[in-house]
Order: sequence, then C-alpha cells, then structure tokens
Amino acid sequence: MAVVKVDKLARSVAEGPTLMTGSIPKRDWMDTPVVFKPGNYAYPTKPEVLKYLDSQKGVSFPNAREWNPEQDDWKLPENWKDIILQGLADRLDRFRSLKIFMDCCVRCGACSDKCHFFLGTGDPKNMPVLRAELLRSVYRQDFTRAGKILGKLAGGREMTVGVLKEWFMYAYQCTECRRCSVFCPYGIDTAEITMMLRELLHLVGVGINWAMEPVSNSNRTGNHMGLTPQAFKGNVEFLCEDIENLTGVKVNPTFNRKGAEVLFVTPSADVFAEPGIFTCMGYLLLFEAIGLDYTWSTYASEGGNFGLFTSNEMMKKLNGKIYAEANRLKSRWILGGECGHMWRVLHQYMDTMNGPTDFMEIPRSPITGTVFENARSTKMVHISEFTADLIKNGKITLDKSRNAHVKATFHDSCNPSRAMGLLEEPRYILDHVVDNWVEMPANTIREQTFCCGSGTALNTDEIMELRMRSGFPRANAVKYVHDKHGVNTLGCVCAIDRATLTTLMDYWVPAVQVAGLSELVGNALVIEGEQRQDLTEGLRTMV
Amino acid sequence: MELSEALSAKKKDIVGLWIDRTLDSYSSPGFFKKSTDPFANPVGSIISQGLTILYEHLLANAEQQEFVEPLDQVVRIRAVQDFAPSQAMAPFLELKWVIRQIFSASKETRHLLGELDKLDCRIDAMALAAFDNYLVCREQLFRNRIRELKSGRAILTDSACPSAIMRHNNDQSA
Repeated sequence: MAVVKVDKLARSVAEGPTLMTGSIPKRDWMDTPVVFKPGNYAYPTKPEVLKYLDSQKGVSFPNAREWNPEQDDWKLPENWKDIILQGLADRLDRFRSLKIFMDCCVRCGACSDKCHFFLGTGDPKNMPVLRAELLRSVYRQDFTRAGKILGKLAGGREMTVGVLKEWFMYAYQCTECRRCSVFCPYGIDTAEITMMLRELLHLVGVGINWAMEPVSNSNRTGNHMGLTPQAFKGNVEFLCEDIENLTGVKVNPTFNRKGAEVLFVTPSADVFAEPGIFTCMGYLLLFEAIGLDYTWSTYASEGGNFGLFTSNEMMKKLNGKIYAEANRLKSRWILGGECGHMWRVLHQYMDTMNGPTDFMEIPRSPITGTVFENARSTKMVHISEFTADLIKNGKITLDKSRNAHVKATFHDSCNPSRAMGLLEEPRYILDHVVDNWVEMPANTIREQTFCCGSGTALNTDEIMELRMRSGFPRANAVKYVHDKHGVNTLGCVCAIDRATLTTLMDYWVPAVQVAGLSELVGNALVIEGEQRQDLTEGLRTMV
Repeated sequence: MELSEALSAKKKDIVGLWIDRTLDSYSSPGFFKKSTDPFANPVGSIISQGLTILYEHLLANAEQQEFVEPLDQVVRIRAVQDFAPSQAMAPFLELKWVIRQIFSASKETRHLLGELDKLDCRIDAMALAAFDNYLVCREQLFRNRIRELKSGRAILTDSACPSAIMRHNNDQSA
C-alpha cells in the first residue's frame, strides 16, 4: 500500500492526489519488474503433489519444493537457465506452430485490445502481443542470428530470474480463451504460447496448486475431487432422490454397466457443486424421458482435464481414461456433458492423442436415428448437439411456461464456441425451453465471446480480485442486457463458467443467476407419469 | 462570470482533464481513452461515463442519493484493480485540483479560485461516499471468497484424496 508522506501531502495541491499516491506509472513495461503480493498470484503447487506426479509414468514434474512467489529466492535449481533454454529448444524442435508463432508476428497490434485481462487491468503485459513477447524476446536472444549478434537492438532479452518471474505472473494471467487469435491476421494462437510458458515453468518446478492438485487427483481416481467410485455413485444417487422429490420421476442411472449403448462423461463438478448439480439433474431427467441405454463410469468420472493447462503429456495421460473405459464397458459411442475446456481436449486433441478408436461405432441417436457424422472419428457427441436433435425431431415434450421465472441470455463459453464452433445448437435449445431470451452485444458473443476470466485453473479464491477484473468485460455485457431487458439468468454450457460466473455475477450484476442449459431443459421437460410439484424456480425450488 | 456559470462553461475542459488524469493511473491508458465502444472498452467508457455524471450531479446540487449509482460504477471497477485503497479513491479528490487547474488557466475564471470552498466540501462529501462504496465492494469480495469455500469447491484442492489416505495408512502400517 502506498504510504503518503507529509511533504508529498503538501505538494498535493500542486500535483493532484493521483500523483501523490503514486498511481500514475512512469516506467516503460520492460523496466517494470513484477511484484507478487497477496491477491495477484495463485498458490504454488504443494511439494507432495508434485512429487507424486513426478513418480508417474509418461510425465515429468521435477524440482518439487516449498517456495513462495513473494520471496526473492524461488529456490530454483542451480542450472535453471540451461533447463529453460534446453526446454525451449526441444519445444521449438517438436512444435512447428511454436516456431512459426515466434517468427511471424509483425506486431500489428490487432490482438492487443482484445484480451479480457488487458481490458480489465490496463497492464500492457496483458496485451497478447506483449505476453507473447515475454517468450519471444528470449527466443530472439538465443535462437535467432540477429538476436545473437544484436541482442536488445533486435528485440532480444537475456533469460534472467526477473524474466522467469514475469513468465509466471503472466502465464497465469491468461485463460487460454483464444479471443485474441480470432483477430490475429496470421492466426497466432496465444493460448499455445501460454501453454508453452507453463510447460517451461514446470521444468523448474514452478506451477500452481489449483491446477496440479486436480491433475494429481484425476490421475489417481479419475476425477478432480479424488472421489472414490462409491462416493461418486453416492453423489449421483443423492441427486436422483432430489429429482424424485421434485418431480415424482424415479430415475435409475447405472454405473460401470458393460454393454450399455452409450457411455456418459461429464465434469465431476456436475455431481457435487451448485449450480452444476441442477444441470446434472437435467441430464438425468432427459435420459429418463427418452429411455436412453447409457451408463456412467466411476473412473472416467471427470470430463474436465486440467492437463490441458499443465503439459501435453499430462493432458494425454488424463484423457486416456475415456477411451479406455469405453473399451472396457463395450460402449458403442460416448456422450459428453456441458464443459468448456473438456471439449477443447475432446474435439481437438483426443483423436490424435489417444485415438482413433476401432472398437466403437459412428454415434447414432437411438431415439431419432440421426448419425453424428461430425463425430465420426472421435465417437463423442456434445449433449447440446444430442438435445437439439431430439427437439428438432419432436422426441421430447417441453413446456416453456415451467421456465416462466427465467429471462435468459446466453454466454458462449470460450472453448465450445471458438474451439468447436458450437454456436447454433445451444441457441436452438434456448428457443425451445424459455419464452424469451436476448443476445448480449455482438462483439461479446459467439466467436468474439468474452471469457469468464477464471478458466485454465484460475478459478481459485486467492486471486479473487484478478478474477473479478478479468471477468469484467463479460459481466459488463451481462449488466447491459440485465438493465435493458430485465435478464435474470445467464445460460451457459461450461462447468467452470457455472461456478465462476456465479461469483462474477454476485459482484457485478447480483440479480443474475447462472444456469447450465440442461438445467433449463430439465425444468421444461414434460415426462409421462410425472407428479411434479409447483416448481416456481424449476429444479432449484426448495421443497 | 459567476462560479456556477463557469463550472458549466468549462464542463468539457474540466471533465476531460478529470477523465484523462483518472485513466492515466493505468499503465497503458491509450486504448482506455480512445475507444468509445462500451463493450470493447468497458473500463475506459464506464469510468468516463461515471465521472461525467458525477460532475453533472455536482453542478446540479443533486441529492446525496443520486451519487450512489455513478460512484458505484467507478468504484466497483477500481476496488478490484491493482491499486492501493488511496490510489483507488484518489480520482474523486483530484477533481478539486482539476477545477483549479482549469480555472487558473483562464483570465475569466481566475478570480473564482477563492470561491471554491463550498464546492470543495461537496467534493469531499462525494469522496467520502466513494470510500463507503469502496468498502462495500471489498466486503462483498470477501463474502464471495467465503461463499466459494463453503460451496464445496474448495474441496477440489484442499481435501485429502480418500485413496491417497488409504495408501498412506497402508504405508504406515507396513
């Protein structure tokens, strides 16, 4: 906190309070070292978590130790610089995209004002071009001829502890949402640069616990929480009791049932945390209504994959369980629940990492007969695609008046919209389950959607201020439709969104609640033989 | 020129400088000042809009209650940004300095510099209300933290994995 000195106070009449408090920055970004203080960094990985992960096959997480970002000495290994430069050399060799991204940026600035972190902070290092420059400057210095000779003149920068600290600060102020890449004329994907920065930092034991502990839990028990099969099953059954109380419908999901036609995989947050559990109740009701022959796996009990925010190898290892379980259970195809980054992994990486599979069939809806050609290779269908197809073929009965309490808008989650182009299906579903809903302004939705500000394992409470400012561009657009149209519900198809947008709304637009689309489907669904109570708030109604 | 007349006549200059100085507290304010699209540039445009309304309220001698919303617009943003509390609040007091700057630059208004006491008081009252608002925002942040912890999401990283405990116990007993 700034300490106001008496002599400064006296000068304040002349200079104004802003200067007096030192809040007008006067230094160039390159000369501004990062300062770690409570609230602007996520806690480092616990050594025992890292040691456990390092002991696992196929992944490497060395240099586990206690360290504190606020202290000068990060207890880096002695040869840390060699490790980093060698790690960068390896990656430049392995990933052609990285090499191209390092070379082809012309600093046109199209990305600079598109990042929600920059828009919320005004910090130039949050401009995607500059965030990439943190790595690119080191690349130039050590990997290009011009940089080797001319150094700083050629935009090069020596790899120092200060630079490493900058990497840690800004690699964890990027949610890999890829909004910037939509505007880049060269298609540079800054998310991939962030991924590389995080991988390099892991080489010297620098990472965050909120990413690594879920990774470690998932590696052991299949899900972020470390839930045992019994606990996972128990949680779902608990939701079944709630459903019966609310609707009179008895749903009987099965677990690890061999020979079920469909394997259902969803983020584990859907089975234990509000408001995800209401979305989960929506799935359960929908599957009951159409008589789907499906099963849950208590090992592929997590759709989410924080390996995506950690390293290529970790992502591949955690993803492996999905096909392995489909194979073990002899499923014909896989249906996936509402999640953002889960779908980036499934849609863009699973097929090349752990596929293609030869033991499943091209997904075909047993209810409508629709063949999901788009999932021919991965064998995995998104719940919104599946539901929209049911609606289009008139296979479910929906009563919009059951969502009379809802005036909705729709938040396109970064990964489903930008990584898999899932834009129309959620809107089609909304058209059929609520009476009226409105779009937010055009430059804040679809491919240009603003991130919730808490993705890539930044959804932890110790960086609450950071999350609130990076989520502000999204919240600001919600506030607009709330003020103008009375919107009270923010629909989305992402588990991290459901959790973090709830907090974001509490701060910026308190009258707006967050709901998964399948929750709104569950609210509206008419099921034969039901004895539904008067549910004034849908599945959230306390009875 | 009377004081109230001068404050109206110089509104554009005063508000312009006030917004400029406020946005200068960000490391890279160029875009915040330039873009007028409220969705592409929420911080710049919401703060500019808020400060403009506050100035108009001061001119109109508006009731304290009317300051609440525009103050909240500005304070809510600055309460979560990387500012010390004093830095977050500085812009409101800064208006006094801004008015003096503008008034002393012109012959017609220089004589009014000695008549600003009452306006200063109203600006102080606005700054104090902003401070109340700042604390409301900060307290809400802390409440949200607690709510997230209570919601069970904290369990994601702070609970022991049952199978790990089992293995640990087995290791101990072996």
